[in-house]
Amino acid sequence: MAIKTLNRDPLAFVLVKYFLLVIILLFLLFPLYWVLITSFKTNMEAYRYPPTFFPHEPAATSFIKLFSEHNQFFVYYRNNLIVSTSVAVLCCVFATFSGYSMARFKNRWGRMFFAILLVSQMFPVISRMISLYVILGRIGIINTLGGLIFALLAAQVPFCIILMASFFANIPTEIEEAAFVDGAGRWMILFRIVTPLVKSGLLAVGIYAFLMTWDDYLHAATLIQADNLRTLSVGIALRYLGELSYDWSLVNAISIIGTIPVVLIFFFFQKYMIKGLVAGAVKG
Amino acid sequence: MKTHFLNRRQRDGLFGFVLDIPALALTVAFIIVPIFDSVIKSFQEYGVRNIISGKPGVWNNWANYLYLSKTDLFLKATIHTFSFVTAVVVVQFLLSLALALILNTDIKGARFLRSIMMTPWVVPTVISALIWMWLFQPQYGLVRYLISIASFGAVTDFAILNNPKTALMGVGIAALWKQIPLMSLLLLAGLQNVPHDIEEAAMIDGAGKVRRFYSVVLPYLSPVIKVTISMSIIENFKQFPLFWTMTGGGPNNATTTLAVLSYREAFVSMNLGAGSAVTTLWMVMMIAVVFFYNQIFRIQDMG
Repeated sequence: MAIKTLNRDPLAFVLVKYFLLVIILLFLLFPLYWVLITSFKTNMEAYRYPPTFFPHEPAATSFIKLFSEHNQFFVYYRNNLIVSTSVAVLCCVFATFSGYSMARFKNRWGRMFFAILLVSQMFPVISRMISLYVILGRIGIINTLGGLIFALLAAQVPFCIILMASFFANIPTEIEEAAFVDGAGRWMILFRIVTPLVKSGLLAVGIYAFLMTWDDYLHAATLIQADNLRTLSVGIALRYLGELSYDWSLVNAISIIGTIPVVLIFFFFQKYMIKGLVAGAVKG
Repeated sequence: MKTHFLNRRQRDGLFGFVLDIPALALTVAFIIVPIFDSVIKSFQEYGVRNIISGKPGVWNNWANYLYLSKTDLFLKATIHTFSFVTAVVVVQFLLSLALALILNTDIKGARFLRSIMMTPWVVPTVISALIWMWLFQPQYGLVRYLISIASFGAVTDFAILNNPKTALMGVGIAALWKQIPLMSLLLLAGLQNVPHDIEEAAMIDGAGKVRRFYSVVLPYLSPVIKVTISMSIIENFKQFPLFWTMTGGGPNNATTTLAVLSYREAFVSMNLGAGSAVTTLWMVMMIAVVFFYNQIFRIQDMG
């Protein structure tokens, strides 16, 4: 076996290790570099074959075009911001309630609730969209951002609850017992004493919900029909991929602008995010 | 002071239940009820007319299922879905594990690499589809160029998404690109939980790298492996935006998966009954897969 010989031969082992690392990292990171440089190429240069690995005449034409001519893109962008922020905030509220309950009161009902949450996440989104499309149409909230927000919230809440519960579980119950003895009510204990201690959990939940909602395609594709209410993913797919010949510099500029907010948020709050993801998936 | 009719435990339980009401109401209204409703619709004639007039669907004697059994598209979609899920999950697991193991050794800048490698994970799915469509672009794409160099000019018209034989692989590569980071991160976290002293003890006892991996690391990692693989199975089973953006199910239905088929039936042909029939069968398959998956892990845990 190859690895056994490597064990005797540290140099070869090290070489294979770095070779694999470089290959995987190139696969993960080079496409991002490629998008970035294409967005700074003119269409003339983007359509050159063989392709250039560094823009010969770097130009911001595609960005200027996007900002000056494509106002509809920013309508989608704004809608995406509204929807993602609302879902993130509401998710924190729902996750605080149920996450606390899940971490503290472990009874039969709690286990059943947990099972319902997990199972509900397993099923394909399309199956419920077929039905929501009709139900939301009947109660008149189809084609509204409000309807979209609640549908997306329901999709994000289960994992957020599990995530939040893992943060609540780390808070020692003695603090609550002491407050209880001092005569504090349950709601007061939850909101004034325990919740302030899990701020990093709230941050992780909020950011997770924001990132996941920013990514949504299916909910918006089925529940929104008016162009002015479309969100980013659907808007991009319909407006910029509908034509036969693509304006690839523009598409790459759109990719950059559409990704920037989530990348910034992720890297700024990385510490909480990584802790949260690991806690939710590995311990939950 | 108030007098309490319930004891402390019962009051705890009640409070816990009250706290769960908002999330439960939301889940029931937006997930559970719609899922049951779509199963009912799968046995009904339900199309645009029902939506406009508000008339309930009518039982149509299994017509939606009979329709699916008449075309071979459903069978094809099932095969495509299963091949896609199997290939992506296996390759993803191997590459993620390799990356996690490497980042867990004492290489320089491991923390920095761990953080920048996460970038593809935050890129929105539709945008990652755009990125790979541009890389795979048949005339000016980078991949065409790289393949023509790697094959010494033998293959000059490489267009992975336009060829029915390779299109599924093309979408799979985009899926891997987006999903490897998270799986690596979780596996890495699992590896960092492996107690050092046990590994050192095994080393002192003369266990080699491979032996230590199988006997010490893997048992500690197995719960994390179980969770990450099941997350990956479910995610790829449900994958829709990548297919819809990159290929739309083509060429020649080569990438028509269950997700694409159900979406097309329900929202393009506006035959909601047939679309529900696809999703209903699809859910049955998912339940079966998850059930067998858990069985396999249970047997392994005992063995």
